[in-house]
Amino acid sequence: MRIARLLSAGILLAGSIALAQDADLARRQAEAAAAIAGQAEEEEVLAEGEGRSEVFGYCTACHNTALIRRSAFTRDRWDELMDWMSEKHGMNPLEGEFRQTIVDYLAQHYGPRRRGPRGGNPFLD
Amino acid sequence: MSNRRTVERSVQELYRDDPERADALVWGRRGTLKGAALAAMGATLGGSIPFARSMPSGLLPAALAQGSDAPQFLQMEGKARLIMQGARPLNAETPESLLDDDVTPADKFFIRNNGSVPEPAADPRAWKIRVDGEVNTPLELSLGELEGRFELVTRRLQMECGGNGRSGFTPQAAGNQWGNGAISCAEWTGVRLRDVLRAAGLKDSAKFTGHHGADSHLSAQGPAISRGMRIEKAMEEDTIIAIRMNGQPIPQMHGAPVRMIVPGWPGSLSQKWFTRIELKAEPHRGRGMGGTSYREPVRPIVPGSRNTGADFVDMESMPVRSVLTSHAHGARLPAGTRGLDIRGQAWAGDLTVSAVHVSVDFGQSWHAMTVNPPPNHHAWQRWTGRIALPSDGYFEIWYRATDSRGRMQPHAAANWNPQGYGANPISRVAILVG
Repeated sequence: MRIARLLSAGILLAGSIALAQDADLARRQAEAAAAIAGQAEEEEVLAEGEGRSEVFGYCTACHNTALIRRSAFTRDRWDELMDWMSEKHGMNPLEGEFRQTIVDYLAQHYGPRRRGPRGGNPFLD
Repeated sequence: MSNRRTVERSVQELYRDDPERADALVWGRRGTLKGAALAAMGATLGGSIPFARSMPSGLLPAALAQGSDAPQFLQMEGKARLIMQGARPLNAETPESLLDDDVTPADKFFIRNNGSVPEPAADPRAWKIRVDGEVNTPLELSLGELEGRFELVTRRLQMECGGNGRSGFTPQAAGNQWGNGAISCAEWTGVRLRDVLRAAGLKDSAKFTGHHGADSHLSAQGPAISRGMRIEKAMEEDTIIAIRMNGQPIPQMHGAPVRMIVPGWPGSLSQKWFTRIELKAEPHRGRGMGGTSYREPVRPIVPGSRNTGADFVDMESMPVRSVLTSHAHGARLPAGTRGLDIRGQAWAGDLTVSAVHVSVDFGQSWHAMTVNPPPNHHAWQRWTGRIALPSDGYFEIWYRATDSRGRMQPHAAANWNPQGYGANPISRVAILVG
């Protein structure tokens, strides 16, 4: 009886230590995620060209530049995405000359490419 | 130009004028960076951060800023070396060669966020979920009450991002450029959603669900995502409210302490940090519903063309797909290797996989692999086999699964759509013998 009580106390203790460790890891993971998401970027991470500052300033208010750098869209699709971000993600609508600056930059520097996102042949790199 | 000026003052001056607001605006989250977070950042970067004190106005270390075209890898305690898809929102893909476990361990589970990862709950046992809308008795249940009041079930369930395979589309579709690695098959423990819905008493008008979680949009305005489905899927045996993953509390990155698991359908339905489910008479209209989001054309559209998605339909069961887990793309084998044992996993949304075939001659001849039955419905299936290699040299292993209705993975991604759902073309892994 006493052994059973000791055992169950032991299990409870082990259980709460495990829970406490999980809580620590959860906190550290959340902090690590926030730190990764919060990494500041330099404008130079984007291709050089007219409109880069505008694109960097406007777009990184919400998301980092990976979303731009991985993309390879025609001007028409970039233009369409500006409306999509306004309608679906609460972006302030882009209009007039400013919109043209942004879309022109994206189309010129992040237009369709021939190389796939996986890159070239692994034995030539 | 005035915008250039805005950019230059955005970080430093905003912080000087109103640090709290700046933190939310610039860093996409609430609360300032504290000591422990900086330590975690140091670990992430593989060293100390000399300019930690000025971090809010600091810049990205060059090691992270450069090489924008080379793949970058996640470095996070408790997580494997996943392929970074983006930092804000944080998304990371599991390389196919890390998907070899029959039960996906927490460290190899892909990361998909639409918004910010929330702070961990101070007391997970007190976490509450609500059931309301078209029900007779709205419920509010704590994690402890869920566990005590309803039958617990444990199932191996595949959970896959709706956009898995997106990089297969030509021209490129918008979104994370996933290969095949936004897939998992963990062992989930939880209560059946239908048991909870029946306890609330479904009205006849309850035809659709709407799901809500605790993560916020990157703009810090509104929820990150809120999707819903037909009531039929909600009432399926394998649709659960999960409280444990692989026998442990759910990791923070994967929706702690309570999340939904809606296996076989787009992962966005499996709400993380789950707080509320609404029953509705009409389809849910939350963020991520309607238009081109998680929807596919019924009448195929011209690839790359404009479309509002008005006549698209919601994506439901995911298409058949396979991964090769025994050999990574770019693997080198000793000269003289003439036979190779290979293996992988295959799955097909709500269906099962009836066959996997492999070709090492660019599809001229195909060889059947052995496919194990799933341990339970909605679990992925192990496939194994041996291939013959006729000589030394460069080969590609092509692998193709067939679902229980006879549909195969196609040679090229079909039914192009602007946000890139449903791409499941045959995959090709390059190997070099000698």
